[in-house]
Amino acid sequence: MLTKNDLGRYQRQILYPDFGETGQEKLKQSHVVVAGLGGLGCAASLYLTCAGVGHIALIDCDRVELSNLNRQILHYEEDIGEKKPSSAAQKLAKLNSSVEVTRVFKKITAQNARRIIKGATLVIDGMDNFSTRFIINKACVAEGIPFIHGGVHGLFGEVTTIIPGRTPCLACIFPEVLHGELELPVFGVTPAFIAILQVTEAIKLLAGFGSLLTGKMLYFNGDTMDFTVSNLTKNSNCRVCGAKRV
Amino acid sequence: MWSQESLKMSITAKLHPILQKLVGGQEVVEVTGHTTGECLADLESRFPVIKQIIRDNRGQLRHYCEILVNSKSTYPEELTAPVKDGDQIDVMCFFAGG
Repeated sequence: MLTKNDLGRYQRQILYPDFGETGQEKLKQSHVVVAGLGGLGCAASLYLTCAGVGHIALIDCDRVELSNLNRQILHYEEDIGEKKPSSAAQKLAKLNSSVEVTRVFKKITAQNARRIIKGATLVIDGMDNFSTRFIINKACVAEGIPFIHGGVHGLFGEVTTIIPGRTPCLACIFPEVLHGELELPVFGVTPAFIAILQVTEAIKLLAGFGSLLTGKMLYFNGDTMDFTVSNLTKNSNCRVCGAKRV
Repeated sequence: MWSQESLKMSITAKLHPILQKLVGGQEVVEVTGHTTGECLADLESRFPVIKQIIRDNRGQLRHYCEILVNSKSTYPEELTAPVKDGDQIDVMCFFAGG
């Protein structure tokens, strides 16, 4: 039930005809997991909090470092050394105290991923490596939870929305087991921009309106300011969501 | 050597944004071949720098690259999948940063 304060706070988005009070109520009832609190996860959780998602869980196993500060906008100089979920949660609580924020200072593994995301309405990809993304992708498929993938490199980024059972999953597109951690170039604006696209997808998915990037990978090229889309199809032999699932 | 018929085939390679810069900003390049591998070889012969991005030093496709034909994964036949006139190949790379 929306309160008088909610109606005032979210007035401008409630005016959007396809959203309205019903859409706002759906956001309030939602539980979104933000997996990773780097450039993507910081910007995504900021806008999820602004939008009034009822419960946000922040997952990360790292502490804030100086080299994070060019892009991880919820962490400040005074937070260096602090656990990322705590650093981020403190800022979000000041931004919107009506949002419940859960801090999880834990590494996502194949063993705990399903437990971490259980009960979520959707999961936002805020990760910075191949392997954890594929662990979360598999956990989301197993739990039937939508997963909004985002990834960046330099001034390039990509977004797709994965709905288990309906759309290709990450392993349909990249069937090989990807591994390794890379120190990639990145400007702060790139994950911020991609995260905002992820949250745009999340708001539509949670409230049930608009068209989604399902079965499509949207690419952003910040070098040329071009957007392109590649269509994707489910792989019937996918090791995660298809006949060859393990 | 490709036949006269194959030379007339119209196959397009839609390039991942990170590769477009290497081909003068083109999103789509016409390529020739009967398989995905032949089409990629054609692409690489004209734009050799692409090879450094998508293949490892053994000539294998890098693990974070994938080839789709008409939006469908070709795995595990990324370099041997047959293609025909009118097909579109997507050369995809995975952005791992966050």
